[in-house]
Amino acid sequence: MSSYSRSAQQWATFARSWFLIDARLQPPGKIATMCSVRLQGKHKPIYHPLSDIGDHVVVMNTKHIAFSGNKWEQKVYSSHTGYPGGFKQLTAAQMHKKDTTAVLPEDILKNLTEELPQPREIPRKLSEYTQEERNAFPMLWTPPEDFRMK
Amino acid sequence: MATRSVLQSVRTALRSFQSDFIQKGLFQRIAVLGNAQTRGLRHVVEQKEGKTTIIEGVIEPTSEVPQPPNPTAKCPIYRWNLQNKYNYTDVLLLSQFIRSDGGMLPRRITGLCAHEHTKIAICVQMAHRAGLLPDHRPRLPEGHVPKPKPNPPLNRYLTRYSVKSVNPIYKKGLKWCKKRMPVGHPALKNNIRYGPKPLYIRH
Repeated sequence: MSSYSRSAQQWATFARSWFLIDARLQPPGKIATMCSVRLQGKHKPIYHPLSDIGDHVVVMNTKHIAFSGNKWEQKVYSSHTGYPGGFKQLTAAQMHKKDTTAVLPEDILKNLTEELPQPREIPRKLSEYTQEERNAFPMLWTPPEDFRMK
Repeated sequence: MATRSVLQSVRTALRSFQSDFIQKGLFQRIAVLGNAQTRGLRHVVEQKEGKTTIIEGVIEPTSEVPQPPNPTAKCPIYRWNLQNKYNYTDVLLLSQFIRSDGGMLPRRITGLCAHEHTKIAICVQMAHRAGLLPDHRPRLPEGHVPKPKPNPPLNRYLTRYSVKSVNPIYKKGLKWCKKRMPVGHPALKNNIRYGPKPLYIRH
């Protein structure tokens, strides 16, 4: 924060900024904590629970969100409507299927100030490595002479 | 992380490789660049047998792979000191031990010890489920048209169990007897972690 100019820091603390988070291949829990911190205004030194100093956060690519482990099948979101027989339980996969994705409207795109860094480092697929990188990596074991089928 | 440590050891091995040649003092010195692929070095040998002198050039058989940091170990991972340093994301390492259709190569051919073989098998499984090995798919029979899938595949990572074998946890239990959702695998619990936070296997 000390590397920002005075005016930029002033804007960041007192103005209501619009942040953008790309949730592609990210865990939803970590995205949610980052969003909640900024919506409450807890990232500002002038935070108070009564004052309305939270910022706006736009989360994009929620369709491509990634859960760790087997949570798509195991995690269950339960709710009760209050009426008898109204206990609803949905797995994370079913919840995800329900929601739809929308295109970002232009007015919001104009207002975005900052894009937040993603919480999880996305691993590279084997097809994303160049042939030079694959050649630079040494072969750990020597196959025997009569070995075929690789 | 595995790529970083292996490339570092490759660079130090190449440096010692070059210094060995300078010390040996061969008749013909070929400039060794920082390349891993080098031709076999030749040197000229003179032999005198009575009145005949035989001059022949001998090619020294050099392997293209530089010396691993620990050559006396049996398992290739111990030879390169990668014991607790690899993860499911190190696809360059894992791809050396798998077939083209994604299956693991047998232990008697790769030379891995039992523990490392199981760990690599687990990492390969997790990498397949995360979609990091898109080219190592099983070969379908000819003329087979795959059925159109209704749902797009969901993104996941660190999946221990297969997708179809797991049931949803409808009753989570109270705090002292919660049914946790396993993430990752306990076989990788000894991996080096640079940071204060421990590895959480049960979320």
